[in-house]
Amino acid sequence: MNVKDSEIIIQTKKLSKSFPGVKALSDFSFELYQGEIHCLVGENGAGKSTFIKLLTGALHPDSGEIIFNGKSFPALDPHTAQALGIQVIYQENILVNQMSVAENIFVGCEKTNRFGLIDYKAIFGEAQKIIDSLGIHLAPKALVESLSTADQQFVKIIKALALNPKVLIMDEPTTMFNAKDAEKVLKLVRDITTQGISVIYISHNLKEVSQIADRITVLRDGQFVNCHNNEDKNVDLNVITKEMVGRPVSIFYEREKSEIGDVILEVENLKLTRSSTPINFQLRRGEILGIAGMVGAGRTEIVRAIFGADKKVGGTLVYKGKRVNPRNPAEAIKLGIGMITEDRQKTGLVLSMNIIENTTLVGLNKFGRIILKLKKEAQAVWNFVEKLNIKTPSLRKEVQFLSGGNQQKTVLAKWLYKDIDVLIFDEPTRGIDVNSKTEIYKLMSQLVKNGKSIIMISSDLIELIAMSDRVLVVRNGAISSEIQGEQITEKNIIANAIEVN
Amino acid sequence: MNVRVNDLWFFKSQSFFLVLVIALISIVAGILNPNFMTKSNMFAIFQQVAVLGIVTMSMVLLLISGLIDLSVGGMIGLSTVIITKLVMNGMSLEFALITGVLVCLLCGFLNGVIVSKTKVVPLIATLGMSYVYYGVALVISGGLFLTLTMDFDFLGRGKILGIPVLMIIFLLVTAGTHILLKFTTYGRRIVAMGGNEEVAFLAGINVDRYKIMNYTLSGGLIALASLVLLSRLGSVLANVGNGYELRALAAAVIGGVTFEGGRGTVLGAFLGVILLGVVANAMNILNVSSYYQTVVLGAIIVSAVVISNIGKIKG
Ligand SMILES: Nc1ncnc2c1ncn2[C@@H]1O[C@H](COP(=O)(O)OP(=O)(O)OP(=O)(O)O)[C@@H](O)[C@H]1O
Ligand SMILES: [Mg+2]
Repeated sequence: MNVKDSEIIIQTKKLSKSFPGVKALSDFSFELYQGEIHCLVGENGAGKSTFIKLLTGALHPDSGEIIFNGKSFPALDPHTAQALGIQVIYQENILVNQMSVAENIFVGCEKTNRFGLIDYKAIFGEAQKIIDSLGIHLAPKALVESLSTADQQFVKIIKALALNPKVLIMDEPTTMFNAKDAEKVLKLVRDITTQGISVIYISHNLKEVSQIADRITVLRDGQFVNCHNNEDKNVDLNVITKEMVGRPVSIFYEREKSEIGDVILEVENLKLTRSSTPINFQLRRGEILGIAGMVGAGRTEIVRAIFGADKKVGGTLVYKGKRVNPRNPAEAIKLGIGMITEDRQKTGLVLSMNIIENTTLVGLNKFGRIILKLKKEAQAVWNFVEKLNIKTPSLRKEVQFLSGGNQQKTVLAKWLYKDIDVLIFDEPTRGIDVNSKTEIYKLMSQLVKNGKSIIMISSDLIELIAMSDRVLVVRNGAISSEIQGEQITEKNIIANAIEVN
Repeated sequence: MNVRVNDLWFFKSQSFFLVLVIALISIVAGILNPNFMTKSNMFAIFQQVAVLGIVTMSMVLLLISGLIDLSVGGMIGLSTVIITKLVMNGMSLEFALITGVLVCLLCGFLNGVIVSKTKVVPLIATLGMSYVYYGVALVISGGLFLTLTMDFDFLGRGKILGIPVLMIIFLLVTAGTHILLKFTTYGRRIVAMGGNEEVAFLAGINVDRYKIMNYTLSGGLIALASLVLLSRLGSVLANVGNGYELRALAAAVIGGVTFEGGRGTVLGAFLGVILLGVVANAMNILNVSSYYQTVVLGAIIVSAVVISNIGKIKG
């Protein structure tokens, strides 16, 4: 589309927002045209989510104005924003798990019959209509908890669309997805803009951004850097990354392979449930073993069982030549096995604790068996914060106030701190910016170079292919194939990961 | 290096607010009745709140780690009744006291085992156990008023260098709890457990064991509170401890400790205890009827919770 022909729907002038110790957004001016897809990119902590929260009324700006359809507001509140037609899909959204898809879609705006009771027929019918119009497959009566993560994400989107928004804001909507599901979301986004809805889209996946955006605005340290026209989908990503980071960075990481040693961990006939197929594989010293598969294929369950976080029905582990059976994470950690979990907010961080306390939780004994050496602890954490480039005004900031990517880095720091021989990474770079991704890849390469071993689950195939020495593809809770060397290609992995029926 | 601390945190905290409120009430009470602002009355306030203070510290340990104990009143009744009964039956005071302490430790341990192994929510589990402990105390005492036949009033009435022993004990327990939570690995781990149990578990913290340890430790504090109370009163009924659990919860919550766990400070809870003590004392000195006192107490608790929630909403 040609944006210049359409109307400006949202305009912001010199918006600023500070938090104690950080200027999250300063003098940010921005325009959103009707029917365009406008992508926001920037490093972790650049201020993207803050900007979104100002538009949805979740936060109030310190100064500046927001002009919606020609009407100026010094600040919005959630109610006004909704009434104006601004809808947002946050990363962590609140769906009610025990309710059906249709009920979730209409929570808060239920359709009632003449007795004032919920009219289920109307709800299911209406939901089906929206689902059909979007060309996706979802049963309105299915319980949300029975859906895959991807489908849950669709429910969130439909829920937003059911309110006939004029502006749809999406903050990293595809980070949970594999390439195929992400493609579905992108298609859906393109479709809704043809109905005249404008989309603000935030993503760290620059390839995705270049495919979908009409315009791209780059933010750095809370400030506007540039706005690129991408009508022809041919923007130069190197320019974008350079503007994001302030210096040139490569989007592709070339890993230097290290020497692979003897077997350190052997999984024999691991069974997660009585009826599941036994799982067998080996991990060698100095190796990065990738685990691919669709979201929900059972990758996380496998590694959780190895780590002792969940009970297993059968099977043994041979670790450093000895039979072991860690019954809980404490025992696994004692052996030298660590796991970085995929959901930073639920299983990765104690949100009410600060960066220091979160980082040293696993390796706390390094700072004293009984009495903590707080100075030494702060110093050690500071080194990590610098190394991983965690943006924060203070080490004593509760991690709930960090930006998504910086939270993820704190989770990594927690495990890198402890001396560990086998480290399991479950979606390690989800929500992390290009530059920091490279830092994390470097760290991983360094670890295996020093003889450690890594198991990496990732839905990001590019990353999986670049980093893995070997890839196991998981399908339906079982290993469907093992791919090595030259054979590790996107095509091969997808072919093995997808159901054939 | 640039490790920065948030400089003005104290002035934005609940504790600072409590200090202001306490100061305000004291000034008003002092103006209305000059006897309020005397050293001896200050000591009296500390003596009045000491038992509650110790129980509150045990509650803080539990709340912060995501637990709760509604059975502390029953535990106090049980241990004090047992001690008194043993002494009446001719056991030496030392042995009776040791037995009382062991009883509390055992009760705490039991609570911990039930909560961690059966996964019954702590509120319900300890509510049930409170009836058990109270019931056993009733059985042992036969529902009668028991009087300690031996001299045991150093803890309750003694002084060291002119300062009441009760006050010293309370302050030491407070300081100890603070140190435990802020400066030890144990404290760090239970706070983490209270903040997010799953994260703590995945970080290799043996949450079951820490729950049991924490309940046992809090049982130890309840033992101390029982001894102090017994020493102060000299005679007990099985229901002597009833109500302490709720007042301790109130004091903790006034001080900003939350039911969800992971949050709160010892200083806040300490000030919560002092606030309750100051208010009660001021009302006594000003001859407010005890019925009104109850109303005021309730109002304070609700206001404190409302105020701390406003703080949360504003972010
Ligand atoms: N409620 C808050 N209190 C204090 N600081 C905050 C708060 N919310 C955000 N910040 C800070 O504001 C800055 C911008 O954060 P924001 O969440 O907007 O970043 P982002 O661009 O969305 O990053 P990411 O890509 O990691 O999600 C960060 O330094 C963050 O720590
Ligand atoms: Mg963000």
